[in-house]
Amino acid sequence: MSTQVHANLTEEQVREISGNLDEPDWLLETRLEALEALEALDMPDVIKTPGREWTNLHELDFESLVDPLNAAEDKDQVGPDEVDVLPWAEAVQEHEDLIQEHFGSIVDPQENYLTALSTALFSTGTVVYVPEGVDAEDVTIRTEQNSRSLFNYTLVVAEESSSVTILERQSTGAEQDEQYYSGIVEVVAGENSNVQYGSLQNLSEEAYNFALKRGDADTYATIDWIEVNLGTQLTKSGVSTELNGDSAETQIVGAFYGHNDQHFDLDAKVWHRAEHTTADLVTRGVTDDIARSVYEGVQDVGQDAWDTSSYQRENTLMLSDESEADASPKLIINNHDTEASHSATVGQIDREDLLYMTSRGIDERSATNMLVQGFFVPVLEEIAVDELRDDLEELIATRLRQRD
Amino acid sequence: MSSEQDHLKDTDTEARFEFKKEQNAAVKSDKGLTEEVIRMISEDKDEPDWMLERRLRALEQYQNMPMPTDWPGMPDLSGLDVEEIVPYIRPDVDKREGVDDWTELPDEIKDTFDKLGIPEAEKNALSGVGAQYESEVVYQNMQEQWEEKGVIFMNMDRAVQEHPELVKEHFMTTCVPPSDNKFAALHGAVWSGGSFVYVPEGVTVEMPVQAYFRMNSEGMGQFEHTLIIAEEGSEVHYIEGCSAPKYGTHNLHSGGVEVFVGEDAHVQYSTVQNWSKNTYNLNTKRAIVESGGTMEWVSGSMGSKATMLYPCSILKGRGATDTHITIAFAGEGQDIDTGAKVYHNAPETSSTIESKSISKDGGRTNYRGLVHIADGAENSSTAVECDALMFDNESTSDTMPYMEIEESKVDVAHEATVGKIGDEDIFYLQSRGLDDDDAKKMIVAGFIEPITEELPIEYAVELNRLIELEMEGSLG
Repeated sequence: MSTQVHANLTEEQVREISGNLDEPDWLLETRLEALEALEALDMPDVIKTPGREWTNLHELDFESLVDPLNAAEDKDQVGPDEVDVLPWAEAVQEHEDLIQEHFGSIVDPQENYLTALSTALFSTGTVVYVPEGVDAEDVTIRTEQNSRSLFNYTLVVAEESSSVTILERQSTGAEQDEQYYSGIVEVVAGENSNVQYGSLQNLSEEAYNFALKRGDADTYATIDWIEVNLGTQLTKSGVSTELNGDSAETQIVGAFYGHNDQHFDLDAKVWHRAEHTTADLVTRGVTDDIARSVYEGVQDVGQDAWDTSSYQRENTLMLSDESEADASPKLIINNHDTEASHSATVGQIDREDLLYMTSRGIDERSATNMLVQGFFVPVLEEIAVDELRDDLEELIATRLRQRD
Repeated sequence: MSSEQDHLKDTDTEARFEFKKEQNAAVKSDKGLTEEVIRMISEDKDEPDWMLERRLRALEQYQNMPMPTDWPGMPDLSGLDVEEIVPYIRPDVDKREGVDDWTELPDEIKDTFDKLGIPEAEKNALSGVGAQYESEVVYQNMQEQWEEKGVIFMNMDRAVQEHPELVKEHFMTTCVPPSDNKFAALHGAVWSGGSFVYVPEGVTVEMPVQAYFRMNSEGMGQFEHTLIIAEEGSEVHYIEGCSAPKYGTHNLHSGGVEVFVGEDAHVQYSTVQNWSKNTYNLNTKRAIVESGGTMEWVSGSMGSKATMLYPCSILKGRGATDTHITIAFAGEGQDIDTGAKVYHNAPETSSTIESKSISKDGGRTNYRGLVHIADGAENSSTAVECDALMFDNESTSDTMPYMEIEESKVDVAHEATVGKIGDEDIFYLQSRGLDDDDAKKMIVAGFIEPITEELPIEYAVELNRLIELEMEGSLG
């Protein structure tokens, strides 16, 4: 461990955060245990090949980045009446049993250094509780970071036969030189429920971001993720689903667009742990200038996962010669009654396509822009939330306009 | 079923690979790895000082390097204790550089290679044969017509004596330095035997040359070194075959292969390895390909307890090409971790990797690959395809390809599929009168056909037989 943030972190700070939120003792204990564990924990796993670490998280200077008692944000948490969409402090009072049951049950607070840091220090969050049988659309959680560091926690509990669509956005309000945003999301999808969780990360390009989203899908449940990354100078993001109930399904749709010196380390993972489960992972991204993308996709089929279908595809388009794109799609198969495939491609804009368009009178720049926008179409088509799709299209267009 | 068993008896495949021989060694080193053992090997071979120095430096590197432990999903090497391995056994033969007539070999060694069918293959299809028994090459012959053209095919120990300049320049310097990995360092310290192939400019060796490696003793390590130098515009096909009987203790095979593919030269390297199921097979194989050159790796990995092997091509010159075709078969208790590495370091280079794997009875296969496209390797392209077939629910199959792309003007594609044997396919074949086992064998034969197509017919037949043998039993 080269990074040591806990030198300037104290138990008192954690007690103060927990006290301000009026948290029960068990939760304070969980935080304190996470704080204590920091010393022994390592950074999240990143892809390594001999002589090369694809993302170097040890270089981050957490001691200067993390300012636990000065968190500031502007937050919107809204949803329809039949669903509880509660700020953390309120949720702790109203749904303590629910939180006690699920907090840390899907993402282990001590999974790695950054989850433990987040657990010890988070001061803001949202609980979305969807009662049995309720169909809820349009839950929106908007977070604007106005401080050097911000730690956010989100818990979604969808009871049997309910459904919910959640759209989360992160952006930066008051910019500083360097900022750190950390967000952990746990989704509990009960039997036959349907959770759609879209996330649009558009933080300042000076910011660092650690995001971990994980869902647990019960029998016949569906969890669909949409993971869009546009901001930050370095993002380490993981989106994953455990298919623990028979016939559960998941889809992970990812889109990213890196330019300047942005670095995205993205992973999409699915664990097939029950029978007749289905997964579909689709990610498309662009790297421009000297941006770099690292993609790791894992489809893990357990021994009891009979009759599994699992598909993964990842495509990266490189717009500049200095950008880099690394990919590692992994298949881990322990059950032979499986149909699985993965594919990954990296390439540039097809010259023939470009020639075709310029020969029709479109100038080269517009033609390039159209081809990039076209490249994202297969991902856009998978985004069922209109608002998110429209915003993403607009943000891609804006970014293309910024090109020299 | 009975017809199948008869068939296997007729083909004698099982007997060919499982028989053991009484040990009959002239020189045998102590167990383990010490400076004394290294000096003893070098002295027994009457080596020049520079080679002894290289060995001792490699030993030092080996001792300073950690075991690889942080690879995700790597095979379990805990049963491997290098200190218990006998690194050097010289069989009792009269001529140190190997005889050129099978009849001159001691009976028990001759008998071994007879059973393996090597002399027969030499007569029919090969330009030359080398055969290694334990640590020494015991037979070496090259057809005269190639010798006349300046082709050299001899055992590596002899090449150190007779072609010191070529060996000094190429042996574990730029291609596989001992510092590459722990087992390359181990190999550098204790290597013995192997093949040296030199093909002069413009010469095409039309028939394959072959080396066969046999490990016969219990608890031994085999560390043969293969060095192939193909000068500009030349062409050669090298085939390596390996086998060992099974003993209670573990054997270690840690070979080193270095291939230099000159401008516009073409080298094919084919392996059918069938080490016994107590052998740890930890190899380093690498080729450096100059502009316009072509390197083809064809490998069938059948035996061993655990294999870690990732043949690598460095595409150094403009327009260099690499082809990898691999098939892995893992049965009970086997962990075959194999794949391909390609470094595209120049413009207009291309590579294709086709990997097939079959796992059954609790075996594990893993494709672990790396494609690196360096900044400046513009207009390069690579296509990777992995297919895995699993027979039952105790077996596992993983694919872990890595792609590092630093150049935008490239075309990179990776595809992998995993599937069980299709019920519909079996049903179709059964409805045409085949029984279940034959239907499965036919499907497997079709699955591996891209590999067998690339091999000379004798090898293709052997590979098919081996796979039939592996499938036998589980399908009854």
